[in-house]
Amino acid sequence: MAGIYVHVPFCKSKCRYCDFTSFPDKIGFAESYMTCVYREMLMRKEELSSYVFDTLYIGGGTPSVIDESYIAMLVAAAKKYFNLSKNAEITIEINPGTVSASKIELYKQCGINRFSVGLQSAVDSQLKDLGRCHGLNEFFACAKLLRGENFSVDVMIGLKGQSLGDIEKTIEVAAGSGASHISMYALTPEDGTPIFTDYLNGELPDGDEVAEMYAFGVKKLRGLGYERYEVSNFCKKGKESRHNLNYWQRGEYIGFGVSASSHIKNVRFTNTFDLDEYFKCILTNHLPVIDREEVDRDGQKEESIMLALRTAKGLDITAFDAEFGTDFLGDYKSAIEKNEKYLEISDGHLRIKDEYLFVQNTIICDFLS
Amino acid sequence: MKQPNKLIRNFCIIAHIDHGKSTLADRLIEMTGQVSKRDMEEQLLDSMDIERERGITIKLTPVRMFYDADDGNEYIFNLIDTPGHVDFTYEVSRSLAACEGAILIVDASQGIEAQTLANVYLALENNLEILPVINKIDLPSARPEEAKKEIEEVIGLDASYAPLVSAKEGTNIKEVLEAVVKYFPSPSGDEDAPLKALIFDSYYDNYKGVILFVRLKDGRVNVGDKITTFRSDKLYEVTEVGVFAPSLLPKNGLAAGEVGYIAASIKSIQDVAVGDTVINADNRAKEPLPGYKKVQPVVFCGIYPLDGSRFNDLKDALLKLQLNDASLVFEADTSQALGFGFRCGFLGLLHMEIMQERLEREFNLDIITTAPSVSYKVIKTDGESLFVDNPSHLPPVSEIDYMEEPIVHADIYSPPDYLGQIMDLCRDKRGVFEQMTYLDANRVQLEYKLPLNEIIFDFFDQIKSRTRGYASFDYELTGYERSKLVKLDILLNGEVCDALSMIVHEDSAYSRGRTLCENLKDAIPRQLFEIPVQAAIGGKIIARETVKAMRKDVLAKCYGGDITRKKKLLEKQKEGKKRMRTIGSVEVPSEVFMQILKTNKD
Repeated sequence: MAGIYVHVPFCKSKCRYCDFTSFPDKIGFAESYMTCVYREMLMRKEELSSYVFDTLYIGGGTPSVIDESYIAMLVAAAKKYFNLSKNAEITIEINPGTVSASKIELYKQCGINRFSVGLQSAVDSQLKDLGRCHGLNEFFACAKLLRGENFSVDVMIGLKGQSLGDIEKTIEVAAGSGASHISMYALTPEDGTPIFTDYLNGELPDGDEVAEMYAFGVKKLRGLGYERYEVSNFCKKGKESRHNLNYWQRGEYIGFGVSASSHIKNVRFTNTFDLDEYFKCILTNHLPVIDREEVDRDGQKEESIMLALRTAKGLDITAFDAEFGTDFLGDYKSAIEKNEKYLEISDGHLRIKDEYLFVQNTIICDFLS
Repeated sequence: MKQPNKLIRNFCIIAHIDHGKSTLADRLIEMTGQVSKRDMEEQLLDSMDIERERGITIKLTPVRMFYDADDGNEYIFNLIDTPGHVDFTYEVSRSLAACEGAILIVDASQGIEAQTLANVYLALENNLEILPVINKIDLPSARPEEAKKEIEEVIGLDASYAPLVSAKEGTNIKEVLEAVVKYFPSPSGDEDAPLKALIFDSYYDNYKGVILFVRLKDGRVNVGDKITTFRSDKLYEVTEVGVFAPSLLPKNGLAAGEVGYIAASIKSIQDVAVGDTVINADNRAKEPLPGYKKVQPVVFCGIYPLDGSRFNDLKDALLKLQLNDASLVFEADTSQALGFGFRCGFLGLLHMEIMQERLEREFNLDIITTAPSVSYKVIKTDGESLFVDNPSHLPPVSEIDYMEEPIVHADIYSPPDYLGQIMDLCRDKRGVFEQMTYLDANRVQLEYKLPLNEIIFDFFDQIKSRTRGYASFDYELTGYERSKLVKLDILLNGEVCDALSMIVHEDSAYSRGRTLCENLKDAIPRQLFEIPVQAAIGGKIIARETVKAMRKDVLAKCYGGDITRKKKLLEKQKEGKKRMRTIGSVEVPSEVFMQILKTNKD
């Protein structure tokens, strides 16, 4: 299984918590940028000719802010240059207030079959605090356009002044919109983002409160038929994000565009975060890679464990042993015994018990060498 | 009989911390032209990083200078530095034994301090000539005449000829140099007699072996001589001798009266003791020079490598430090919580801190230290008595008849305004008031009897903070007294952590236990389960706090393909875990072991 990721680094305005690569003031460069992305794909064509890709994910930024024709051309380019499987999952991230009926229509026509909508909160004052440029009404309008489609909604916990009631409402709004998939992320105040000031001022809920919100959210989502399949991801039966599952299974993927990461043949590499630098590389026919790390055997094992333990299904022990020629239960005996209260082994899988998924770092650390 | 060179002056400088010793030494070195300004780092004598940062001198650093005096002769000055802090009285006595004179620096605005006084008396005991120098006359608050008066009243020295200087601005330094020539005697001894050289310091050089810092009292020593010392039976051939310029400057030989160094391919650190006398193996002197009394360590703590596999590195580092500092003692020890390490003895708290810092900086070791302790005398029910400085080595309560603790006589000098605060503190620390003397209108001397174990925690800091730094404090051990002492244990998740045990007075056990639990609760990171933190005396729980279970520890935003960054975050967390010790099932960061030092919640 392999995936393609394309980064569209443009948005209407920068959200206060955002530390992704996105340039609200440079939408004018969208055409040049997308042309470069097509070209970058072409540069990778030969190298990846033996791959069959099962997913294409168009993320950002807000990919829906640029003209939909660029997106259509992007999907066409991906299909032209690479072997995209027939039933490939093709997702685009969209934000309320940036889409119209015709836009959605063109997305669908070009082959996009999954949408990821950034709601974050159903409380307008919280959306404002986050620096989102939409309100709840725009979400309703967006959801209406997506009726009948396979789509996911992002919601956030750990917001300033957020009550359990607010979370309940947000989840109900997301579920009521007909989403097949809901991602519930805890706000992470990154140093350098405006929201970090809120954090320093002590305005954000602390870890214990977020844990309580999380537990509440999980229960609420379950009650509405969304099962957790990864720490932050919940879906109706069979509606997992195949693209994201691939990340957690340490699968291969190729990323295009600024700041995009890739994982091909046990090498992890990342493109430049600088837009000018990206243009310059592509126009002079160079790959814009700035960081490259070959993951050795031990690193591969660590990644497999760290990623798999994020998922509800856990680590497939047989598959692990087959891949690495190891005896997992023997090799990691001490880590397993030390954490036996927090782990369970069944159906050939090792997983972190449901109630400890939110404190997994400590447990995972014991499996790192 | 041949008299030593009459143009030699060997002297040291005695001063209170920051009364300007290093600065004056720098000026003397500059004025004698030994060291060019270009080569002169600020504060030349304080060469260790720690000394420079803390502005104090710990090690003795000798310097040789040439001075063209007004009488037309060129004199050789050997300046041997002395540490100022009370912990290092031992080193002071070492340097005094190598000198004929001592410059006493007195701050023109502050007068004489308690610690200085102690060193002055040491110098008088060693029959040294004392030259008072009034420093910092450039300060607006300078009262040189009062300082002189104080010298005459408190010490009984004639201060009428004391030079008035500003070492900082270089004022009247020449007067000091002339006074050194005039008032300090030239060395006595006999160049023709068999060699007798006092070892006053040493350090280990990777190429030359042990370098001995010596003062020759009699005889000569040359390259190629066979030497030994009074206390060892090993023979060495001298490979290099020389003087301190201030870096090592080789010479053909040294003669009586001179200060210099000897290298003789001495490989084993234990073979040469500071205080011993070097003699010529073919022409042995009959009597050793008087050494100095071996001081006993008074403060003890456990030192363990953070990474257990570095035990041998820690051992080597301690051996090297001991070469320079004979007052450091240590022996191998084990702790259930901390593994293999050493029980170390120090002259005082500052000495302990300095050694810890040197281990970390100079030897690049990460160490864990346990709470400082003193040495208790335990009298068992069978009449046997033993000394215990490690709480976990205490015999079972049922076998103890009673215990005695070390007592000190403390002199506290302070302006009268702070007497109340000082007396409160001493009372809190189980002090017994003995005497109060008004030295003058602004200075009172308080004398107290205090248990040493009350002083080693925060007494010094408390004295300073309660008197805004005005009071100074000195103490000497006077003996042992019977006391109601108990062993306070700390239990983490129900298991005793031996590294956190301490011996305390019964009356303060409850409050100490409570404070400790509170501090530990804050210092121990939350884990996946709830951790009771309890204090206990002989099985009886006297205090309890709870470290709540951790509820959130996740990279909640782990989407996107940027797995490398996530991995790094986890690896960093893993690194942090590595720096922890596991006690039972609880992971405890090394800083926690220092929490025990704090007696107040902060």
